[in-house]
Amino acid sequence: MQAEWNHDSDSIRHGLIAMLPRLKRFADVLIGERREGTALLSRALKRMLAEQHRYQRGTPLDRWAFAEIYRLWLHELRDHADPMRQAKPLDASFERLFAMDQAEEFDGLTASFLGHLPPQQRSTLLLVYGEGLDHEDAGRVLDSTPETVAARLIRASAGLADRLGAGAQVPASATIETLYPKGSKEQHDRAQ
Amino acid sequence: MTELSDELLVAYVDGQLARDQTRAVEKVLKQDDVIARRVAALREAHGRLEAAFEAILASEVSEVTAEAGLAATPDTRLRQSEPNRSGLAKAGLATAGIVVALLVAAAGYGWPLVVPELGLLRSRPAPVQPAEVTAPSWQSDAARAQSLLGRASLEVSLESQANRDLIAFQLAEAIGPDMKLPDLAPQGFSFVRAQLLQYQRKLLAQMLYLPATGDPVALYARAGEGETPPVFKTETGIGTVSWSEDGIAYLLAGRQDEAVLLRLAEKIRHEPKVPEPKVPSMPTASIPVAPLPAEAVKPSAGEAAAPVAPSAPDETSPREAPAPTGPN
Repeated sequence: MQAEWNHDSDSIRHGLIAMLPRLKRFADVLIGERREGTALLSRALKRMLAEQHRYQRGTPLDRWAFAEIYRLWLHELRDHADPMRQAKPLDASFERLFAMDQAEEFDGLTASFLGHLPPQQRSTLLLVYGEGLDHEDAGRVLDSTPETVAARLIRASAGLADRLGAGAQVPASATIETLYPKGSKEQHDRAQ
Repeated sequence: MTELSDELLVAYVDGQLARDQTRAVEKVLKQDDVIARRVAALREAHGRLEAAFEAILASEVSEVTAEAGLAATPDTRLRQSEPNRSGLAKAGLATAGIVVALLVAAAGYGWPLVVPELGLLRSRPAPVQPAEVTAPSWQSDAARAQSLLGRASLEVSLESQANRDLIAFQLAEAIGPDMKLPDLAPQGFSFVRAQLLQYQRKLLAQMLYLPATGDPVALYARAGEGETPPVFKTETGIGTVSWSEDGIAYLLAGRQDEAVLLRLAEKIRHEPKVPEPKVPSMPTASIPVAPLPAEAVKPSAGEAAAPVAPSAPDETSPREAPAPTGPN
């Protein structure tokens, strides 16, 4: 039994180390700044390694680690003297999260857009568009419902599309056309 | 015309719709240009977000891999902790060793060279080499400034520099039709001269202005994209304001304080675009183009502000603690 436990402990350690860049990206994006993000990840890793008995077998390790980082961030935030202060990472701080050797491809507009989003919205975008999590898993990590996750994605995507300037606004007087073939809408509603 | 909500269109772009809904949206897209353009914009937004997160991951991989190297060579790590590192490398390396130290201490291992995934990491962008991050001296900063200059940079015809319209026209031709050559005389900064530098095979315009007293300010411009608001930051003791407009990326740099530079930037942003030249025909002489060595430093807004004097490292920037803002 002891041997098996040690094996699991080693697996968790190795697993966390192997996914270090992804965890660091999550912490950095959540905070919006590299220095504090690294410090948050360090504290979270320490806690994960000290309390790995809380890890439930079968849970994907990356989701558990993301959730631990997020919980720690939230916990520390609640102890803050002014927890309702908006997160406003400086543009320059957020831009430093991007690859240094790809400056020619650096997308300043998107970086600035992300940097000005609330942390939860930024993290939601990262988990779904960066990590490929579905809405349910992203919601579990961020302690939110899948509906909240979807709402954040819609708001952010529409906001960026508007900023790109290519967003075509549909006039309010536009004709409304149902997506459902005639008669199927009622069936769809009944099925809900 | 059809009205489809962003809610539905984002779900469509993200592949979250059921098959029959997807077909219905696609049918609408074929018939409605407005909706099609909106979907295209949402797709571009989606693509940009994915690319941005990929770029951040690439940066993290570089940093973590570099840390792995640093952990293996303590002497190198010590050198890199010295002050006066420059630019992004400095910011990235400011945290070097924290994660490594934690993992080594907590896990009781050396760096996980045996972890298979690290092989994958090492095949990603190369770690920062010690030569790139050793503390710069005044000699290296001066050499970097020199790299922006060439013989042609100094061969400026006084006649052409005196003809501001001609200069403006030539800059617009080189950088882009919406390029500005602002008149800052009302703000007390007289236009002195302009020149074209080259940076990574792209032309970089430099316009120099001199106040009645004190140091000059320089306005740099190169072809860019998008619209971004002015952002102030300090790079090795030089204040900079960077922004983009009309397909041109600008950087205003000088030793003036933040308020002065931001005020000048606002003035430039409201400056009309370059007018057509008043000269009937263009002379053959052009603004000098100074070639940039291939080993030029990596681009960042502040680095375009060279030459600069070495100064204390701009290690940190004040950050407001993030706060939960609800489910938005």
